Amino acid sequence: MMAPQRIKSIQSRIASSFMMLVLFTALLLIFISYRLSESAVRETAESYTSELINQVNANIQTYITGMKDISLATMNNPNVREYLASADELQPAELAMLKAKISEYFHSIRVSRKDIASINIFGAGGTFISDRADAELNPYIVLSEQPWYRQAKENKGQTVISSSHVQPVIKGEYRWVVSLSRELSGVNSSNGLGILLIDLNFKVINDMLSKLDLGNRGYVFVIDRQGRIVYHPQQQLLYSNLKTERLEQVLQDKQGGFVVKEGGASRIYSIKDTDFGWKIVGVFYENELVDNKKQMQLSFAIAGLLCLGVGVLFSVVISRNLTRPIKKLQEKMTEVEKGNFDIRVPVGHSREISGLARSFNVMVLKVKELMDQIVIEQEIKRKSELNALQAQINPHFLYNTLDSIIWMAESKKHDEVILMTSALARLFRASLSKGREMIPIATEVEHITNYLKIQQMRYQDKIRFTLDMDRELYPYLTLKVLLQPLVENAIYHGIKNKEGPGTITITGRLQDDRIRFQVMDDGIGMDRSKVETLLISTGSQHSRNSVGIANVHQRIQLYFGAEYGLRYTSEPGAGTNVTVLIPAVHPDEWRSMEGDVP
Amino acid sequence: MKSYMRLRYVLLLLIPVFILGYIALQWSKEEPGPKRIIVGVKALDEIEFWRVLIEGVNTASREFGVDVSVVGPTQEIEVDLQIQLLEEAIKQKPDAIVMAAGDYNRLVPVAESIRKADIPLIMIDSAVNGDYAQSLIATDNVNAGQKAGKELSSLLSANAEVAIISFVRGASTQIEREQGVRSILEQRSGTEIVGTYYSEGKEERAYDITKKLLLERPDLNGIVGLNEPSTVGAGRAIRELGLAGKVKLVGFDSSVKEVKLLEEGVLQSTIVQKPFNIGYLGIKTAISIIEGDKVLRNVYTDSVVINKDNMYTEENQKLLFPFVEE
Repeated sequence: MMAPQRIKSIQSRIASSFMMLVLFTALLLIFISYRLSESAVRETAESYTSELINQVNANIQTYITGMKDISLATMNNPNVREYLASADELQPAELAMLKAKISEYFHSIRVSRKDIASINIFGAGGTFISDRADAELNPYIVLSEQPWYRQAKENKGQTVISSSHVQPVIKGEYRWVVSLSRELSGVNSSNGLGILLIDLNFKVINDMLSKLDLGNRGYVFVIDRQGRIVYHPQQQLLYSNLKTERLEQVLQDKQGGFVVKEGGASRIYSIKDTDFGWKIVGVFYENELVDNKKQMQLSFAIAGLLCLGVGVLFSVVISRNLTRPIKKLQEKMTEVEKGNFDIRVPVGHSREISGLARSFNVMVLKVKELMDQIVIEQEIKRKSELNALQAQINPHFLYNTLDSIIWMAESKKHDEVILMTSALARLFRASLSKGREMIPIATEVEHITNYLKIQQMRYQDKIRFTLDMDRELYPYLTLKVLLQPLVENAIYHGIKNKEGPGTITITGRLQDDRIRFQVMDDGIGMDRSKVETLLISTGSQHSRNSVGIANVHQRIQLYFGAEYGLRYTSEPGAGTNVTVLIPAVHPDEWRSMEGDVP
Repeated sequence: MKSYMRLRYVLLLLIPVFILGYIALQWSKEEPGPKRIIVGVKALDEIEFWRVLIEGVNTASREFGVDVSVVGPTQEIEVDLQIQLLEEAIKQKPDAIVMAAGDYNRLVPVAESIRKADIPLIMIDSAVNGDYAQSLIATDNVNAGQKAGKELSSLLSANAEVAIISFVRGASTQIEREQGVRSILEQRSGTEIVGTYYSEGKEERAYDITKKLLLERPDLNGIVGLNEPSTVGAGRAIRELGLAGKVKLVGFDSSVKEVKLLEEGVLQSTIVQKPFNIGYLGIKTAISIIEGDKVLRNVYTDSVVINKDNMYTEENQKLLFPFVEE
C-alpha cells in the first residue's frame, strides 16, 4: 500500500476511503452470508440425515412388528394350539392333517410378506412344521444349541429378536436372516409346547440400508443390544481391525448422536433407538454435507467481486463529482492570484460549494473595487503632490523675476520694468487658467512666450528664441506649464554656461492624432548618463530643474498613458533636443472625460 | 501527476480484485475430478472369492470417491483373455491399475508395459515373477499354507500319506500355498507327500483326480485342496467313496458346497482368506500411490481357519457364507 501522507488530494482520499469501506463491508458480508448459508445447508443436511434414519427405523419397526403380529396370530391359531397341546393324544393321520393345515397357513402368510423368509414351529416332542411342506431339518445342526432357540427358552414366552445371522436349520439353506423366536406355552403347564421361529429375510434390511445415500463416505449401521453388528457395510474391515467403529460410544449414547473429530475431517454419528433394542446409526462426514459447497463459494466470490467492482467504480465517480467544483474554484483562484479580477465562478449544485463560490465571487468583486479605488486615490495623491511641487517652483521664479524688476527699477529702466512686469502678470494669468489642469495650447504658448520674454530681459542678449507653433494646434488642450520647465532647463543647463548667446527653438506640430512639441537649444548639451537620469522620478537630491522635467514626464504619462511623454537627445557641446508627445485632445472631448476623473 | 493518480486508482481497484480472484481460484481448483482406477481380476463372478473381493473394491471406491472399473474373464483359466483385457486397460490410461495375476509368468509382459506406460501398478491376491508392482496386497499365502499344513498335521496319525490338489500351475498363490503346506508337513516325521496334482481350478477335474488317487492309494490319509474347486472336488470324491472322516481333508476358501462338506464331516477345516479386505486395500493403496504417499511393498491380509465348531460364530459367518448372492 501507499504511504498515507502521499495521498493528498481530497478525491483520492474519498475514493480510497470508499474503496476500503466497500472492500471491508463486502468481505464481511460475504463471510457472514457464506457462514449463514453454510450452516443453513448443514442444518438441512443434518435434518435430512436424521429424517432418513427415522425412515429406516420406521421401516425396520414395520418388519419387526409384522413378525410379532405373525407370532401372536400363530400363538392364537387353534390349529397350532391343538397340534402342540395334544400331540400325544391324536392319531398320526389327524396330526398330519393338522400339520398340513398349519403349513398351509404359514405358507399363505409367507407368500403375502416378502420380508418373511420362513415360519417354523419346533414342537417340544421333536415335531417340526414349516411354511414349506417339503422342508427338512439340517441333520448336522443341534436345535437346542441354536442361539435363537436357547434365548426363546430362557425368555419364557417373550419374543426374542436375534442379530443378523446365517440360519442353517433347514437342510440346504444358509440364509442370512433376523430371527424372531418365542416359546409357545401351554394353558396350564409350565413347560413350553414348542418354539416359534420366524425368520426375516435380512436381504430386505441389507438392501434398504446399503442404498441409503449419506454422501460418498457416509453409511448406516445397525447394532443390537449387546453391541453385535446387525448390519455394517464394512463389517469385515471391522473384524480385521482395518477399521474401527465407535461401538462402545454408540451403545452408551443417550443423546441421539455425537461428533468424532479425526484429523481434519469430523464424522457425525446420528443414533436412533428401536423398540426392540437395536440402534440404527447414521455416520456421515461433515465435509460432505454441503454438496455444492464449491459452487456456493464460487458464487459468493463472484458476487463479492461484482460488488467490489461496482463499489470501486462508484467511489471513483462520486469522489470525482464531489471534488470537481472544488477543483474549478481552485483554478479560478489561481487566475485571481495572477491578477485577473474579472472572474466569476459558476455557482454549483451542492450547498457548500455554491456558498463557497458565491462568497468567492463577492470577494473577488470587492477586491476589484478596492483596487480600483486605490488606483484612483493614488492618482489623486500624485496629482496633489505634483501640484504642490508646481507651487514650490513658481515662487522661486517669481522671486528671481521680482529681483530682476527691482534691479531694473534701481537702474531707472522704466520701460523694461513695465515690460517685465506686464509679462509677469500675463504669465501668471496664463498659469492660473481658472485652476484647470488642462489648458488650450494657445494659452500655453502665451505663457511660454511671456516666460521667455522675462528670461530674455533677465539675461539681456544671452538668449535668443524662436517659437514655431502651428496655428491649428491652438484649440487643442495641453497640460499647463508643460513647456516652461523644459525651457528653464535649456536656459540653466544648456545656455547659461555657454560662452556667447544661445538659441532656444520651440516647435509644435500636429501629427495624426498626436501633438509633438520640440524644445531645442544649442547649449553645452549633456552626456548620455545625465540624459538617462533626467526623466527618472523626483527626489530631494536632484536639482530643482530636473525635478521639474521628471515632473512633466510623469504628469504626461499619468494623464495620457505610457506611450506619451518626453524624449531627450543630447550630446555634450552639441545642444539638447527634447521632444514632447501628447495626444491631440479637443476641448469638447476633454470635457466629457473630465467628468469621469475628479 | 494525472497519470500517477490514475495508476493509484487502478492499483486500489486491482488489490481487492486480486484478493477475491485468488480466493475464487483456490476454491475452484480444489477438486480436479475423480481418479480412474482399473481393476483386473482373475475371474469376474464364477467364484465367490472374486465377488466378495469386488465388493471390497466397490466399497473402497465409494468411500474414497474414485472411479473404478473391474475387468476380467469369466473363468480363472482364461489367462490370455485377462492379458488382452489388461492391455486394453493400459490404452485407457487410468490413474492406476490394480491387478490379480492369473499366471505368475505369462502376465510379466503386461506388468512391464503397465510400468512403461507410467501407470502405477498394484497387485492383489497374486503377483507375477519380477519386481513390477509398487505394492502387493494378498493373503500371506505361505502363512495360509502353513495354517493348512498345521491343521492337517493335527488331524493325522504319526505316519501318513498326504496329497496336494492344486489348481492352475504357475499361479503365485498356489506356489506359495504349496510351499507353506510342504514346509509344515515335510518336517513331520513319517509323513510322505505323494504329490501335487493340478485341477486347473475345475471342480470336476479335482473330483476325477482325487477319486483316481484314492482308489490307487488306499493308504492315503490326508488331502490338502489349495482352492475352492479343488477342495470341493476332492471332498466329493471322499464322500462318494465313503471315506468321510477317514481321509482328512483341509481346504481353502469358502462356498456353500464347502459348508456342506464341513457339516457332513468330509471337510475338516478350510483356510478362508479375506477377499473383501484385499479388494478394499487394493483400492486404498492405489489411491495412496496416486497421491504420492509411501506405501508398503507387501501388505498381507490374514486368513482364518474355519472348522465345524467355529463356522457359525459372528465373525466367521460373513467370511464363510456368501451374502452378495441375489
